[in-house]
Amino acid sequence: MRRIGAAIVSLAAFLAAWKVATVVGGYPEFILPAPEVVAERAWRAIGSGLLWEHTAVTLLEVVLGFIVGATTAVLTGIALGKSVLVERVLSPYIVAAQAIPILALAPLLDIWFGGGLLARVVICALIVFFPIAIATMVGIRSTDPLLDELLRSLGARDGQRTRLLEIPSALPVLFGGLRVGVTLAVIGAVVAEWAGASVGLGVLINIANQGLFDTPLMFVALVTLALIGLAFYGLVVLVERRLVSR
Amino acid sequence: MTVTPPLPTAVDASLDGVAMRFVGPRGEVTALEDFTIQVPAGSFTVLIGPNGCGKSTLLRLVAGLLAPTSGAVLVGGAAPVAGDGRVSLAFQQPRLVPWRSTLENVALPLEVAGVERAERRARAADALERVGLASAANLRPRELSGGMAQRAALARALIGEPSVLLLDEPFSALDALTRETFDRELQALWQERRRTVILVTHSVSEAIGLADQVVVMTPRPGRVARVVDVDLPRPRPVELAADPRAAMLATEVRDVLAATNAAELRPWAESEGAS
Repeated sequence: MRRIGAAIVSLAAFLAAWKVATVVGGYPEFILPAPEVVAERAWRAIGSGLLWEHTAVTLLEVVLGFIVGATTAVLTGIALGKSVLVERVLSPYIVAAQAIPILALAPLLDIWFGGGLLARVVICALIVFFPIAIATMVGIRSTDPLLDELLRSLGARDGQRTRLLEIPSALPVLFGGLRVGVTLAVIGAVVAEWAGASVGLGVLINIANQGLFDTPLMFVALVTLALIGLAFYGLVVLVERRLVSR
Repeated sequence: MTVTPPLPTAVDASLDGVAMRFVGPRGEVTALEDFTIQVPAGSFTVLIGPNGCGKSTLLRLVAGLLAPTSGAVLVGGAAPVAGDGRVSLAFQQPRLVPWRSTLENVALPLEVAGVERAERRARAADALERVGLASAANLRPRELSGGMAQRAALARALIGEPSVLLLDEPFSALDALTRETFDRELQALWQERRRTVILVTHSVSEAIGLADQVVVMTPRPGRVARVVDVDLPRPRPVELAADPRAAMLATEVRDVLAATNAAELRPWAESEGAS
């Protein structure tokens, strides 16, 4: 109850500060709309179905992109963590791919993967991949060598050691990576939409900003993106609490 | 519910001319050299020697975790294989898996061996009962005292009913009182089911109190300095020091230990004399 109370108080303070800024600054609506203007615009966008039309697409991209990216990242991270050779062979490519800004890579991937949902899921998965793969690798390497020797003395096979010891050992660090990754999934979806899409919250931002000069609508899209990020982050934390019992 | 696992048949163990060398970052280290001992089936053998004399290496060889550089290690006439169920090693630290309950920790060897869930839980509960830990079954390792954790580790080492039990200073971190209790219980446990035991210790009185034979080792590289047979009647009381024969044997072990340590210092003494 206290946690919820604190969240409400902090939200009220944030909205109040926002309102004060618009009043004191006297900004025109197309620069900084007041919170109630944004709320009213959101109400209309929800009513007309406009917001849901774009949100549904972005949600799908985020979920699929995160699932695909996190799954490949965890599997790759396990391989990287277990074998120094695999790390030596693969890590230069992984790091190099990460060093190229996804924004620059997105148009290319859009062409390669046919410009549809698949292309956007791939872009989203790619941005999610790096922090989760690295966290998994570090987590696997954090396995207590004494416990590893215990398992070997019991005759545990490689797969058993991974399942019974290495993955549970990696979970706390792995979830750190998942927390970062799930927020990046939202960024990935927007970047992918900018690279070529006709619907989605990223597209809605572009339409509101460049086509309609409807800054309140842009704020609605931004707030929705933030809420999606918060919701998925919370979901990851919830799963983490259930799985990592310390 | 009581599940009776198959009773182990005691087997002998032997090391014949064993040498063990490790290649480390600072060159080659010889842990054991020309090491030969016989451990009769069902006997209690204690290894004693200074730090770094290769006692732990020796147990890992018998457990099948390491292969000797040269020479032969045999358990029941065959080279040991880690996890084949004949040999069980209890480490110096309890090494309990932190996210598992005590019961799940004790059941771990059975889980690795592919024993079905209901049976392994029943046998683990049984094993916990045997070491007096039944009430701690659902606690996590961090909730256990040092003594309780070591009991759990012992239960885990016994659960597979190994023919050969290897104990690597399992009680060294415990206080003297708890340790005496453990020694007494270990002796009782061993007498009730005569499996072959090899125990590593630093304590001469513990060695004389438990062993059929005490193998005194030299500093690195570890060799057999002397094998002292302890043919005192069992069960032996904790207050063994009062027994004149026990005192004589303890003195013999201490003398051999002192002599081998002095030998290690001799090169230093000679070089000083030469200068």
